[in-house]
Amino acid sequence: MTQDVEMKDHPTPSHSVSSAVPTTLQHLKEIALLIETGSYSKEVRRIARAVRLTIALRKKLTAPVISSFLDHSLGQGSEAYGRLSVYLPKDDEHDMEVDTATSGSQAPAKHVLPELEIYCYLLVLLYLIDQKRYDEAKACSSASIVRLKNLNRRTIDVLASRLYFYYSYSYELTGNLAEIRGNLLALHRIATLRHDELSQETLLNLLLRNYLHYNLYDQAEKLRSKAPRFEAHSNQQFSRYLFYLGKIRTIQLEYTDAKESLLQAARKAPIAARGFRIQCNKWAIIVRLLLGEIPERTIFMQKGMEKALRPYFELTNAVRIGDLELFKSVAEKFASTFNTDRTHNLIVRLRHNVIRTGLRNISISYSRISLADVAKKLRLDSSNPVADAESIVAKAIRDGAIDATLDHAKGCMLSKETGDIYSTNEPQAAFNSRIAFCLNMHNEAVRALRFPPNTHKEKESAEKRRERQQQEQELAKHIAEEDDDDF
Amino acid sequence: MDPKLLEVSQVFDRFKAALARNDFDTCTNLLSQLKVMLTEFKSLPPLFEKTPNAVHELTLGRDVYEHAVILSVKMEDQDAFERDFFQLKPYYTDARELIPPSPQECPILGLNLLRLLVQNRIAEFHTELELLSPSAMENPCIQHAVELEQSFMEGAYNRVLSARQSVPHETFVYFMDLLAKTVRDEIAGCSEKAYDYLSISDARQTLLFSSDNQLLEYIKEEHPEWEIKNGFVFFQKAKESAPSKEIPSLQLINQTLSYARELERIV
Repeated sequence: MTQDVEMKDHPTPSHSVSSAVPTTLQHLKEIALLIETGSYSKEVRRIARAVRLTIALRKKLTAPVISSFLDHSLGQGSEAYGRLSVYLPKDDEHDMEVDTATSGSQAPAKHVLPELEIYCYLLVLLYLIDQKRYDEAKACSSASIVRLKNLNRRTIDVLASRLYFYYSYSYELTGNLAEIRGNLLALHRIATLRHDELSQETLLNLLLRNYLHYNLYDQAEKLRSKAPRFEAHSNQQFSRYLFYLGKIRTIQLEYTDAKESLLQAARKAPIAARGFRIQCNKWAIIVRLLLGEIPERTIFMQKGMEKALRPYFELTNAVRIGDLELFKSVAEKFASTFNTDRTHNLIVRLRHNVIRTGLRNISISYSRISLADVAKKLRLDSSNPVADAESIVAKAIRDGAIDATLDHAKGCMLSKETGDIYSTNEPQAAFNSRIAFCLNMHNEAVRALRFPPNTHKEKESAEKRRERQQQEQELAKHIAEEDDDDF
Repeated sequence: MDPKLLEVSQVFDRFKAALARNDFDTCTNLLSQLKVMLTEFKSLPPLFEKTPNAVHELTLGRDVYEHAVILSVKMEDQDAFERDFFQLKPYYTDARELIPPSPQECPILGLNLLRLLVQNRIAEFHTELELLSPSAMENPCIQHAVELEQSFMEGAYNRVLSARQSVPHETFVYFMDLLAKTVRDEIAGCSEKAYDYLSISDARQTLLFSSDNQLLEYIKEEHPEWEIKNGFVFFQKAKESAPSKEIPSLQLINQTLSYARELERIV
């Protein structure tokens, strides 16, 4: 299921349908039909397709189109119609696009499918958000959530998870995410009890986002580690989850795991979600720097990201050279960017890595150097640079960053000869880890190739099915007869 | 004024007086009384009910826990500190909109950072740090802790120790003393790896002892493997990492077998 849904950081990738021949209303009616059949035959897949088609229509949604669609599907007299039509501007002049022939001839008290009702909520909500009427969007989404709590049908799950997303999104746009945290937690609990995995996935991400919005990393990690985990249903939600996970791990200094999550998130994200991928890349770059790696130049040259990643490129450069002065000036120059990205505290942590890289460069170039010179080269500005340099070098030696010894009496650092790495088991270990990675990748790829359940039955036409059933019946009869013969 | 509120503030006044006298027994008694009394107020966390006296009650509650934290520092009880701090925290985060900020907030947050540093809980240190607003980061008490952490990570231990002279708040001293111990252990660990030997006087200086006897005692207790000869301390360290002569055959066989198994699955 690869539905093309926008990521939060980059809303509305436009892919409007070019042909305007079938009007938007007709499209919507087709979608409604799809939902109806999906609902009757209990096929979640159809509903998912309906949502996908709706997103494609998003650009064309106008008030008259939606109101006549509501008219068509809910009927003027119904309760839901009354609740939803408030959000649409009253407009007597019908748009040219609107197909007036079908509306009006509806039976007033028609039974409305819950799926269709929820779908109408989604439509109105999309419209309100696109019109930037956020307060009304908040009211509308809250109303839809209240309605959703009373419905327990698997066919609604897809629609529900989308509604949850826009519910949180409308509150984020108005800056009161904290208000809905309790509500989201309650919804997550309901979804867990109902085994509604899609909604669980969405809600867990929304909650993580909610916590991280206020830098509540501790709470986010506690929730994440205790929430039930299962195989991801939606690629988008999974890459979001990985991104949040990467962020949490970065803050808690688990850089190796963080790097893995962030890189995977960046790879899994759809191409259209440029903003999201930029965010992933920014964090991944910092984490790699903190790990003492230098990201390749190609990362900064990815299409459409050069400008956004520029500050991080210069930062990487400073770390690579190991120049404290340059590092400081870069950090100051782009302070506002780093503050809005909320990576400032991480950049502060990097100072230590700059010193390490500088020290490593020195230990490679010199076999013997006085500590005063080390301090001068590292540009340590403190009251007692030599003593500082000595303890910094000592710590670097203990952490295994450099291979050297100190001579306290002479005040100098002696670098050791680097041994022949090929005489150790190192290459073997590296080779092994690479092979393991490749094998793992292959296994995951095979697993990802699985087919959605019940697809083979789909191909079987109604006629064939009847035929097969007949055959089975005959066979059963035959066997029964044979059984009778035996006795 | 509400009679209950009055009663609590009276007990609290007695508590404060006892704290000023450093009468810790009375303090702990009164504090447990106070904590029980505070549970009666519905406006306090986690309920946050909007009672008419909410602002008063919240401010009082916050004051009580702030003093509880300071008491725990004075009594040098880190566990009590952690407990009281977590009880105090909701007043700083969730009640931010309800009551005016407290002047004690930054020193106490700084203290907590320092505690995490002393206990070497660096991940939590950074998690707490992320919660601070940019204006709070400018505060000398917070900056002090942040700079300490940086120097500590870099290995500039001199800076950590000299920071003791410039503590921004008198309650910081206790944790700075604890930090000095942590630093000494760190230095010992680093010296062991970095030097082949040190003269006793140099070792005394690097390990921050005032007399040779203290140094010798420390070595006897913490690092009995160090050798003292002719006025020098020799750090015994087996300089291995020699090129491996033998082939780790068992491991290699296991690896090769697993490759074969995986390949079989693919083909």
